Amino acid sequence: MSNNKEVLLSVKGADVAFDNGGKKLFRAVKNANFDIYRGETFSLVGESGSGKTTIGRAIMRINELSKGEILFKGKRISGRISKEEDRDVIRSIQMIFQDPAASLNERATIEYCISEGLYNFHLYKDEADRIEKVDKALKDVGLLPEHKSRYPHEFSGGQRQRVGIARAMIMEPELIVADEPISALDVSIRAQVLNLMNKLKEEKGLTYLFIAHDLSVVRFISDRIAVIHLGRIVEIAETETLFKYPLHPYTISLLSAVPMPDPRIEKKKELIVYDESKRDHSGEKPILQEIRPGHFVFANDREMKEYEAKLQEMEARG
Amino acid sequence: MENNNKEKDLFSFADFDEYQSEHIAAPRYSYWKSVWRTFFKDKFTVGVAILLIFIISFAMIQPIFSGYDPMIAPNINNAAMKFQSPSSAYWFGTDNIGNSVFDAVWAGAKNSILVALICTAINMVIGIIVGSIWGFSKKMDKWMIEIYNVLSNVPFLLLAIILSYILGSGFKPLIFTMTVTEWVFVAYFIRTQVMIIRDREYNLASKCLGTSTWTMITKNILPYLISVIMTYIARIIPSYISYEVFLSYMGLGLGSSIASLGKIISQYTSFMKGYPHLFWIPVSVLATISISLYIVGQKLADAADPRTHR
Amino acid sequence: MEERNIILSAKDIVVKFRVRDNYLTAIRNVSLDLYEGETFAIVGESGSGKSVFTKTFTGMLESNGQIANGSVMYDGKDLTQLKTDKDWEGIRGAKIATIFQDPMTSLNPIRTIGSQITEVIVKHQKVSNAEAKKQAIEIMERVGIINAEKRFDEYPFQYSGGMRQRIVIAIALSCHPQILICDEPTTALDVTIQAQIIDLIKKLQQELKFTTIYITHDLGVVANVADRVGVMYGGQIIEYGTVEEIFYEPAHPYTWALLSSLPQLGEKGKELYSIHGTPPSLYNEIKGDAFAPRNKYALKIDFEQEPPFFKISDTHYAKTWLLDPRAPKVEKPEVIKDLHEKITLMTEKGGAYYVEQ
Repeated sequence: MSNNKEVLLSVKGADVAFDNGGKKLFRAVKNANFDIYRGETFSLVGESGSGKTTIGRAIMRINELSKGEILFKGKRISGRISKEEDRDVIRSIQMIFQDPAASLNERATIEYCISEGLYNFHLYKDEADRIEKVDKALKDVGLLPEHKSRYPHEFSGGQRQRVGIARAMIMEPELIVADEPISALDVSIRAQVLNLMNKLKEEKGLTYLFIAHDLSVVRFISDRIAVIHLGRIVEIAETETLFKYPLHPYTISLLSAVPMPDPRIEKKKELIVYDESKRDHSGEKPILQEIRPGHFVFANDREMKEYEAKLQEMEARG
Repeated sequence: MENNNKEKDLFSFADFDEYQSEHIAAPRYSYWKSVWRTFFKDKFTVGVAILLIFIISFAMIQPIFSGYDPMIAPNINNAAMKFQSPSSAYWFGTDNIGNSVFDAVWAGAKNSILVALICTAINMVIGIIVGSIWGFSKKMDKWMIEIYNVLSNVPFLLLAIILSYILGSGFKPLIFTMTVTEWVFVAYFIRTQVMIIRDREYNLASKCLGTSTWTMITKNILPYLISVIMTYIARIIPSYISYEVFLSYMGLGLGSSIASLGKIISQYTSFMKGYPHLFWIPVSVLATISISLYIVGQKLADAADPRTHR
Repeated sequence: MEERNIILSAKDIVVKFRVRDNYLTAIRNVSLDLYEGETFAIVGESGSGKSVFTKTFTGMLESNGQIANGSVMYDGKDLTQLKTDKDWEGIRGAKIATIFQDPMTSLNPIRTIGSQITEVIVKHQKVSNAEAKKQAIEIMERVGIINAEKRFDEYPFQYSGGMRQRIVIAIALSCHPQILICDEPTTALDVTIQAQIIDLIKKLQQELKFTTIYITHDLGVVANVADRVGVMYGGQIIEYGTVEEIFYEPAHPYTWALLSSLPQLGEKGKELYSIHGTPPSLYNEIKGDAFAPRNKYALKIDFEQEPPFFKISDTHYAKTWLLDPRAPKVEKPEVIKDLHEKITLMTEKGGAYYVEQ
């Protein structure tokens, strides 16, 4: 199934290291490998410190790779690239940030915030055309033209996040990196932003890399999911597969931690705690291996055998 | 019956308008309007500002009419004209050469204020431009820090002495002396401020939108720095006035042909015992200008901080 | 139902904040009876007033805030009358303790974990240092710190976020409080850590028999911890009842909307149930029902007149005109009908959230 799909973005053997204090390099991302197909929503799920945001920022070229490369439509975009390529990539890949309060310029009007990309690439014929585009972008995200002359601090969190979405959308990108776009929002606002993102994806044929810390959000929105723990991708699978046949113990512990809105069930729930340090690390070094077409798990050969047995048992049950 | 109908109506569904709660009820916000509104709310500062404007305009205009020139002393041989106490004819009295102290003080104030304002303008413009690029460029930071270390360690007095030997005294040489190294302090200050807010998320967002460094500086960074820059200006104008006073006092400033507060004060210091008003009048004018500049500047800086708005 | 002791009773609380020249009414006439030994969860989004309300129980309102009306009766005293820190001594921290969202705000970064716990014990229990240290290590073990004796002398930065929150819990519980207020204690933590902290609080509550007020915006957490629930919106409790009543028979359209919009209930390819617009600004005077402008089921009267509490059962009340006999009958949204059955399917074998134990 994945073979006849076009790979839009490809992360190959990517490492991101930060030097904190000079002596020891801290490897925030370790040997990350995944492809994102055109038209899908690919989610990257992990907890704080897992390196998920770092990967997103490496794709945005805010963080540099220390090893490996990132390809967009087959062309390398990591490291040094020409000015022209750079401009192409900026237009094609846009980002939605986590904190709508911090990611908008407080001293600029909404009109400027949304027009910023248009100005940079002169994506308009004349002033009237620019204003028309801004009005359209506002309308697309459910805001009103009268908001143009307002400043970000006059808006609520959900409205600000929609401004952030409009500002990315106006560039007509192909790929959007959404870094926890709803976790800073009020609960009553989250659904409206998720719906909006889905609607825009349908209308504009977008591809999303959706970064989240919580599996429940991701199940609703994504086609495929990668689970990342301590800088390492531990499992990749299609959404339904991952929920139905979770293999890596960390994935299972994440799944068990999703709070369900049902007191009778929630009160009976047993927690499954994952502790990296308590795992059996004997045998060869684990790598990310394909156990079923499209389903990858981080394991060595011994663990692969265990997972295979477990998977067959689950499949037999249906 | 009518009551019943009304009640029925009340318990019917209201029209639901999706956009209803999107409207922002608050009055439109404008940054500069809010700055001025906050500034003008404080009556004391407004009073000081009016006083300041009056003093400065008076200092600029009065010398035109008085035509005061420190090199001309028509009454120098008229003993009766010397050391007169303040009177209706001579508001601040006369000095040791029979000139009007009133005229002398305002002519001096004019030049001192002008020097301070021009130097502030030059240093701020150079400092802000250099400092904001400096704060952005890691490459530039390496060698700019060295330049800063050298320039900031040149003893100011030594520099002033050497330059006054080379360039002589006068308006332009003094301004050169007070700007040739001073801008680097402004630049360093701005650089630090830029570095603090450079990596904030909204700047990353601009970067992702392809915004050039220069646009980032003018649209994202400097607007955030208005308040700290104002605070800085409020501090340096008075200090530049006192630099000028100090240099002129030491004989390194504007030279004998140009009136200045510093020179007047140094000249009158010797009459401190017999005629203390000669000393205290120019000093009070100096203090009034400096303090009110500082108060107004600080208040403006406060008002420029959007956290004080509403 | 058995008679239960009311341990704390808040009546008609109104809290106002002075923000520059404006008055903001953060809490509008809220009452609450807290029963001994229960866990009462307060759910609401930011600005709903859930934190502010409970701060009146410990006198920790910000300096520009004031209780404009109402009383909080506890142990025969009206807590709203206490003014100085001295008045509060023996209650705040001792009888009523609070755990905040960010553990770092409650810990001193430059003092060892151990000294911070012993200080509280010495202060409130007047015991010797040696005795306090013994108690501190005991309580550290109790909140799940492994190697407590060794970690006693470490600093907060040497602890992870989850471990720090455990320490904050240890400090809060070191004086054996009667009431523990948990103000979003897990919001800053990762999901797997969150679940562990919640479990810990529940376990300790069973052992130490305190009463818990649990403030959160997360209905999943509420389902896990609460015996009773109050839903807050626009500075008021708009519905309260037992946890089962709130989840299985919610009556207020806002509660419906909150439940329905949970992504756990979303189906791929379909729209999530969503609430339009934004929460009300408390600077403006709210007329009628605060939720009305965002409410699909709003009646005209909702814009005119504030609804009273309607009684649904002895334990369940909701503040919505929809419960008035004159109002048209409205059913709750499809997504949350038969909620228990739906979620049972999800968490059973073959369901999306089934986890092999």
